[in-house]
Amino acid sequence: MSDLQVMGKSYPQIDAMEKAMGKTTFVSDLVLPNMLYGRILRSPFPHAKILNINTAKARALPGVKAVVTYNDTPGIPFGPRTEDWTIFAKDKVRFFGDEVAAVAAIDEDTAEEALDLIQVEYEELPFVTDPVEALKPGAPLVHEDRPNNIAAEFRIEAGDVDEALSKSDFVYEDRYQTNQVYQAYLEPMGGIADVDISGRVTLWAGTQIPNMSRMTYAKALGLAPDDIRIIVPDYGGGFGGKFETNVHLIAIVLAQKTGRPVRVFNTRYDDFIAGNPRVPMYIDIKIGATEEGLLTGKEVKVIGAAGARVVYAQAIVSTACYRVDSLYRFKNVRATGYTVYTNTVPTGCFRGFGNAQMTFVLESALDTIAEALSIDPAELRKKNAIGPNETSVHGWEIKSCALRECISKATEAANWAEKRKKRKKFKGIGIACCNHVSGNRPFAREFDGGSGIVRIGRDGRVLVFHGESDMGQGQKTAFAQIVAERLGVPLEMVHVAQVDTDISPFGCGSFASRGTVMGGHGVLAAAEDAFRQLAEIVAAKLEANPDDVVCRDGKFFIKGSPDTAIPFKDVADQAATLRHGAPIVGVGFYDPPTVLPDPETKYGNISPVYPFACHIAEVEVDPDNGVVEVTNYVAAHDSGKVVNPMAIEGQIDGGVLQGMGWALMENMVVKDGRLVNPDFLDYLVPTAMDAPRVNKILVEPIDPNGPYGAKGIGEPALNPVTAAIGNAIYDATGIRMKELPITPEKILARLKEGRKE
Amino acid sequence: MKTAITITVNGERHSLEVKPNSTLVDVLRDQLGLRGTKKGCGEGKCGSCTVLLDGLPVSSCILLAVQADGREVVTIEGLGERGRPHPLQKAFVERGAVQCGYCTPGMIVTAKALLESNPSPDERIVRKAIAGNLCRCTGYTKIVDAILSLADRGSELVKREKEDGS
Repeated sequence: MSDLQVMGKSYPQIDAMEKAMGKTTFVSDLVLPNMLYGRILRSPFPHAKILNINTAKARALPGVKAVVTYNDTPGIPFGPRTEDWTIFAKDKVRFFGDEVAAVAAIDEDTAEEALDLIQVEYEELPFVTDPVEALKPGAPLVHEDRPNNIAAEFRIEAGDVDEALSKSDFVYEDRYQTNQVYQAYLEPMGGIADVDISGRVTLWAGTQIPNMSRMTYAKALGLAPDDIRIIVPDYGGGFGGKFETNVHLIAIVLAQKTGRPVRVFNTRYDDFIAGNPRVPMYIDIKIGATEEGLLTGKEVKVIGAAGARVVYAQAIVSTACYRVDSLYRFKNVRATGYTVYTNTVPTGCFRGFGNAQMTFVLESALDTIAEALSIDPAELRKKNAIGPNETSVHGWEIKSCALRECISKATEAANWAEKRKKRKKFKGIGIACCNHVSGNRPFAREFDGGSGIVRIGRDGRVLVFHGESDMGQGQKTAFAQIVAERLGVPLEMVHVAQVDTDISPFGCGSFASRGTVMGGHGVLAAAEDAFRQLAEIVAAKLEANPDDVVCRDGKFFIKGSPDTAIPFKDVADQAATLRHGAPIVGVGFYDPPTVLPDPETKYGNISPVYPFACHIAEVEVDPDNGVVEVTNYVAAHDSGKVVNPMAIEGQIDGGVLQGMGWALMENMVVKDGRLVNPDFLDYLVPTAMDAPRVNKILVEPIDPNGPYGAKGIGEPALNPVTAAIGNAIYDATGIRMKELPITPEKILARLKEGRKE
Repeated sequence: MKTAITITVNGERHSLEVKPNSTLVDVLRDQLGLRGTKKGCGEGKCGSCTVLLDGLPVSSCILLAVQADGREVVTIEGLGERGRPHPLQKAFVERGAVQCGYCTPGMIVTAKALLESNPSPDERIVRKAIAGNLCRCTGYTKIVDAILSLADRGSELVKREKEDGS
């Protein structure tokens, strides 16, 4: 591995200069000829019957080209997980922000004016916004056909939890609560739709799952997936929030109605009230340990709010139930998860996907256990940490694992031992670990691998096609590096095509920290195929065996004879000439060695590789105002072989700060069924003034299943942050905060109470 | 009803007819086709739409176009050109300060205003100057370092780099 040319080196994102010059056309920058502007009328009530919708006045407004409601759609129930979606509310609205009607007009102002002219008669209904309340008998039903508001239940059990807990020397039991937070990507959700005369739809959208959303949208519209073409221009962030959305479907319906391209983007307000924020959860945990600090058994119960329809909440709740079980050597675990409908905004994916919620709980619990047993929290984690070449309680086959090294290196860098000894009032240090996946076998139904196409131009330039999605994390650059490495050409020779479902291979998309591993393997296999074809041409020319052909820095030669070299571009040109213009095209795919979990036991192997991390936070708490300052932060990561050190550092910096925002300040506050802080003045996200400098440590085991040994980074960068900060606050104040976010108000109140629990 | 205004954008004078309620960002993007300036919130709270008005950074989404009448505007397109980027653009790229890139134009324009008023800011001043520009990808560290790399003197980072001989 030591002779890698491109892999493992720091490069700016391949399109960074375009972005820095302001030349990149983001999806919301696109303008099409004759384009109309759409706006969505959203419900002002959390729960109400729709008695009547009168659109006559809106239609009569000059410049309005269409006003649409449920009756203008095929009315087919659909949804990515549960078919509880409709494009517009049918006979009742289920959350403050639910889609009621939409307008297409010649400009934004006219569209907005028209919204005010749509008259809707509502009859308000009792509503429920808390998932625990929603489960109680007699609670208002969000969907009449779903008794007790239960959208989904999940159970998993392995070993004998009751016996393990009864034989434990110490058992900790408590309830935690994680709140609803907003991804706050800088470019709001939206898209532009156009319909051709045959009825075929083209949608330009910033979506993390171009291919999977196409299938969902096709169902909703009564079309075949191939009747829809999705093009993904550059877009401004996702963090899990940009999966399926009715905004795209409404743009399509308006385009169908008007025969003109229609642009519909959420305003920031709309994005707050009707995006897909994080699933809030109540989590009960009961966990035991021996006096030596070995974890014996664990039981958790998760109640998560789906909001008014299921986006991905049920998969997120099930992830919360059991992903952490493969972080430590658990043998006896049981979990029950309830995904519950509430009259709130539908909740979806957000960096961490349920694992982040449970990591807060488990890692807080471990500190309580460590204290009760008088064991150093870092030591407790090391004692229980899963290791390389182990199979976890649920069958996950861990290949490489540098969790223990991450703990060692993080504690060393943070000067942990000394700081834990010298306690200072209101200053504290806390630790938390995490595991994650790079792909999630049960999430994608038919397959979970990746694929790619590599086209060699006549001048030797390489164009890579993939079906994943770069939301800004640098996926295109990672793919370009992987392909450049395999072909033996300089990085600047490799370009990555925009995802276009008419041209790109199918990709499951960007979630589950899977891009580098699944998409990376896909484009690697394609590069492999292209290289083989080029090698045959070179071998014929140099009268050698194709297996002996190598390429380095854009020059082909035969192994052992680097002096007789042929430039890559000459071979490319010759290939295209010989083949009357047909380019060399490499096509490849990756079939990961995953095992679909058993439907009953959930025993399986959901990811080809498993990343790990250990974070340490240091805080200072101001006893007068309750403000927490993060004074130092260490993040040690095992993401396998690092593709691009500068890029992974950026992922860690961003993940830590996003986690810090969640831990200390971010909170979607719902009162009387309405979000009361739907803007950046009242919903605070961290600014440059809040951001600590993160000491980033990269431990790089080469994973046999990763492309060049790589694993994912996106989500593990965030997962441990809330617990590391929560544990540091406990160390500083003796206050165990069990509800996120840990705001100054809460700290002050607890300091006044002057008690620990 | 439209109002006639004259604004100089990136050195070029434009005589325009604008709606009285049109914001500067909409005129820049829709009427002048300068789509490098982004709209992130429309309420002056995220900084994506930052441009320079007579040299000072402003949120162009809460400024009416008529308020820019007779004044000078600089947008991201006014910094650097193809093949010859502005030093800030180069620093942002080379130091990995660009991820999704949606905040980048506003961030760079803000940094330009800072360095023009204070050529040698320290880290605290840099962080304060960009506190009105939200970035959700980078955790700000590489952005701060990119700006500090251009500070003449005073920053520990620059000193350290000089000591390292890099």
